[in-house]
Amino acid sequence: MALYYGDLLPFTGILLQGLWVGLYVTVIAMLAGSVLGVLLYLGKSGRSRVLSGFSSGYIEVFRNTPLLVQLYLIYFGLPQLGLNVSSIWAALIGLTLNNAAYTAEIYRAGFEAVPVGLREAASALGMKGGDIVRYVLLMPATRNVFPSLTNQFILLFLASSIGSIISLPELTNAIMDVSNTTYRTVEALSIGGLLYFVVSWLLAMGSRYTEARLFRWARRSHV
Amino acid sequence: MFEAFGWNDLIPLLNGALLTIELCLTAGVIGSVIGVILGVARTSPRRVAKTISSIYINVIRGIPILVIIFFIFFGLPMLFPDLELSKFASAVVALTAFSAAYVGEVVRGSIEAVPAGQSEAAEALGFGYFRKLRYIILPQATKIAVPPGIGFIIGLIKDSSLVAVIGYIELTKAGSVVSNLTGDPITTFLIVGAMYFVICYGISLIGRWYEKRTGIHITSRRLRQPAGI
Repeated sequence: MALYYGDLLPFTGILLQGLWVGLYVTVIAMLAGSVLGVLLYLGKSGRSRVLSGFSSGYIEVFRNTPLLVQLYLIYFGLPQLGLNVSSIWAALIGLTLNNAAYTAEIYRAGFEAVPVGLREAASALGMKGGDIVRYVLLMPATRNVFPSLTNQFILLFLASSIGSIISLPELTNAIMDVSNTTYRTVEALSIGGLLYFVVSWLLAMGSRYTEARLFRWARRSHV
Repeated sequence: MFEAFGWNDLIPLLNGALLTIELCLTAGVIGSVIGVILGVARTSPRRVAKTISSIYINVIRGIPILVIIFFIFFGLPMLFPDLELSKFASAVVALTAFSAAYVGEVVRGSIEAVPAGQSEAAEALGFGYFRKLRYIILPQATKIAVPPGIGFIIGLIKDSSLVAVIGYIELTKAGSVVSNLTGDPITTFLIVGAMYFVICYGISLIGRWYEKRTGIHITSRRLRQPAGI
């Protein structure tokens, strides 16, 4: 079979529209999930037994079950309770709840990696409490967390393709639409795969560049 | 019209869970063999081997596994009309292609995590490349690779749920079928989720036990990345 990409040209708009929906859902789920993730991390590491048990349970459940099953529970389960959800809302809720569990673990790893000895040293040197939190805890922790968070963003963008199974009109959905109308399956899938690859590569490059600029202060230290 | 969810509905779900395990074992084992070769190639002094392996790993990791599954199931038969792949075979090929890339990355990271002095000492003692790899580097890298390897297995099990889209009746697809029969998606998918949880959490406990026993923690940021969501 000869490959012919010309048939796909009229569908460029549809593919880009799908890419836009995928990115848009990813950005919202990333922002909302990161906030929820902070709360989960605080709950897990806090003093309250109940909160820490709940947070750990939440994190383990969401990290040890497939996103698809979570989406099915929301998309097919909520209507059973009398709440109708559109595919976009189901995808937003599902990706946010799922992402929160992963970001919570990223925060935990990032904060735990800051040595306690540093804080003790800072207070022994007479640094003020607020300054210690800012310079000796938050800044190094942010630097630890940043690359993992941007990587999580890329993983979440790739995972948004799973939304197509509950008919979220994102890129994978658009690819399959184009493939079904043109019968150019190989062409549509390869162009779609290329789009995903280029976008995730650009995101990775962008994050590396931002990391280098943001954390110039840490280049020579080992904090 | 619908029958309420009953004990009988557990049978197809348990059967689906077994097929999920079978699928992941097959794809995981073949993928790991290819992955080890890719990982070693990526750290080898040979330019060509390095480039090919690095392109493969980065391309697969930059594309959603769902697109790979669609490509194998719908695309390959168009490219090669004589090729007849069953649903199981398509699922295995897609998950293997994905596994190979992830294991490749784990192996590469683990080899690079072995202190450079080990490699230099082996060379100083007159070890050739393959002997050095076999007796010095790989035994140490294997220990480092266990925790991220376990993360990869959990990711593979979760991602295997996606082959439901090509109609292979593994655990998630079995869930869809039972959910349609009983009209009770909440009960069905809660049970399906619980089954995944038992499998994945059980495996993660093994990983934790290993880390505690050996004191090997994942320190490299690269190795800490989860295989799938």
